[in-house]
Formats: sequence, structure tokens, C-alpha cells
Amino acid sequence: MTYPHMDAKLNEYVDGTLAARDRASVEAHLAECAECRAAIAELRSLSASATGLPKSIEPGRDLWPAIAARIRPRAMWNVQRFWRGALAAAAMLVLAVGIYRLFRVPRSDFRVGEGQGWAAVQADFERASDELSRILAVERERLRPETVVLLERNLAVIDTAIAESRAALARDPASAELRRFFAAAARQKVELLRWAARVAAS
Amino acid sequence: MHSDPTDLIHRAQQGDRAAFEALYRAHAGRVYALCLRLTADAAQAEERTQDAFVRAWERLATYRGESAFSSWLYRLTVNEVLLGRRAERRREQRVVTTDDPAALERPRGADPASGSALDLERAVAALPPGAREVFVLHDVEGYRHEEIAALAGIAVGTSKAQLFRARRLLREALNR
Repeated sequence: MTYPHMDAKLNEYVDGTLAARDRASVEAHLAECAECRAAIAELRSLSASATGLPKSIEPGRDLWPAIAARIRPRAMWNVQRFWRGALAAAAMLVLAVGIYRLFRVPRSDFRVGEGQGWAAVQADFERASDELSRILAVERERLRPETVVLLERNLAVIDTAIAESRAALARDPASAELRRFFAAAARQKVELLRWAARVAAS
Repeated sequence: MHSDPTDLIHRAQQGDRAAFEALYRAHAGRVYALCLRLTADAAQAEERTQDAFVRAWERLATYRGESAFSSWLYRLTVNEVLLGRRAERRREQRVVTTDDPAALERPRGADPASGSALDLERAVAALPPGAREVFVLHDVEGYRHEEIAALAGIAVGTSKAQLFRARRLLREALNR
């Protein structure tokens, strides 16, 4: 057994990653220490054995049938991806138009429950959000688990902001500041969903 | 059947499943060996090999020929195995196997007369997962610590520490 403090240096010496000064120091030590010389010989032998292990081991059974059953024909896959992309783009457009309309509606014309302004924009947002959520649900399993956790945490924060802005708008429907707050949260949610759907499909 | 790898890759990128099967036949042993050594479990290695080839099919369009196809495929395989293990560890749905001697009892393709190689395979399979992964990637597969750190999501220093630990444990096991 070598000295614990020498272990890392001996390994790095064998790997050839020691700085010149440390290398000279280790070589000076090796000249006097038979135990460390033996350790170096063992490490070299171990590395040589590892490098010499067979690079190929055939599986115990043919795995191709299971793989073939899981891969989709490329053409169909591309078409599906195209339509998912197109749907995501359409959902984004619906939301953009809705938000634009929200800001273009004159203050005097902005009335809850008239099918214009707030209600229409809310419906547009719900439609875009639902569409992107549906796309993401299909591709969700392709995201890394840590990405899913982060996505859900961020969506929860944004949903809280949307719920709060909705509640505030219900009390003061003509507030331009509240409308901007809602629009910003809605845009964030759709952009986050769109990003996640794009990452999952890539 | 075409055997030119570039032609096979190009055809597979166009959606030719027969060409992709030929690529699978050419690389399955190498990918499985990598998965088996990283997981030390035959059943998991089969699963990960399948996952790697399914992922390769899905990502084939992103392969631009900047590196050898085999390097691209093996790196993707390592990624699948390490990601899979991290996800499993997080979910705690499965106890990670650290030793499955039967899986490495008679690996096909290995020299049956090579007793020391078999001893080493068994000793590697018995290593703790983190140390085993770094040892396999560094000493068997030839990856650099910087590459391992990026693939495994660990620091370079951690990769080195795991390698030195693995070598120490292996020397102890092989000297018994």
C-alpha cells in the first residue's frame, strides 16, 4: 500500500498528466521507495489490461426486432414533426394577434363579457396554451427529467401570475397596467411551452 | 447489401431502415459492451443498447460527419446510459446493481482463455457505479477527464478522484 498523499500523484504520473516539476519530484521519490515503484508497476499493468479488454461483446439475444418496433419510418416522423411545428407556430400567432388586439382596443370599448377585448384575448390565450400543452404532452418523455422539473416549476410560477392578474382584472377590467401584466405572463407561458415543445421534438 | 459505412449512414438518414439495421449489426457488439461495462447488468445493458439505437435513429439527421460515426454513436450511448442512471437514482425506483457476475461470466467476443481479463471484468463490475463509470470511460474507452466530466455532469476533479478510487479498489480486488 502506498502513502495516501502519493496515490493521486502516482496515478497522474502513470497517466502522464503531471507537471514537469511534480514529475521530477515523483521520480526522485520512486528512486528511494520500492513500495511506490511496485504501485507504479501495478497501475501500468492495470491500465494495459483495461485497454486490452475486448471492445465488442455480442448481446445474448438479437436486439434488432425490439429496436425496429420502436423506430418510426423517417418520412412519417418528419411529417409529424412538421405539423407539430406548424401547430406551435399557429398557436403563437393566435396569441400574438390576441395580445395585439388587447392593446389596440380603445379603453372606452374594453368591456368584459362583450366577446371583444379581454374575453376574446383570454379565449385566444387559452386556445394557444392548450394547443402547446397538448403538443408538449406528446413529446414530454423525450425531455430530461431535470428539464421537466424546471419546466413545471416555472409554469407554476407563471400560472400563479396569470391567476393573480386575472383576479385583479376582474376587479379593475380597464386597468392598462393589469392588462400589460396579464399579457406579459401569458406571453411568457406560451414562449416557455413553445421552447419546451421545440426542445422535446428536436 | 451495401457495406460502405458512408453510404449506409446516408441511406439511414434518408429513412432506409435496412441501412440502419446494417449499422446496428456493425456496431451492436461495441455498443452493448459499453453498456454492459457501464451498468454491470445484462438486462439493463440490453435496454440501454436498444435506447441508444432508437435515439441514434431519431438523431441521425444531426450527424454531419464531423467525427467518425462510431465516435458519435458511442458518445450518444454513454449519454443515454449516464442519463438513464441519473434519472433512476433520482426516482429511486430501482436499486442500481453494482455486481452481476453472471452477466460477465462468459462475455461473447472475449478470449475464453484470458483468465486475467475475466477477473478484471468481474472486478470492474463490482465497483461502485460512479467509480466504475469513470474507469470504463477513461481506462477502457480512452475518454479524457474533461470529456467524462461533461458527459457525466461532474467536475474534472471528481472524475479524477473516482478514477483513482476505482484503480485502488481494483488493485486490491485483483491482489486478493
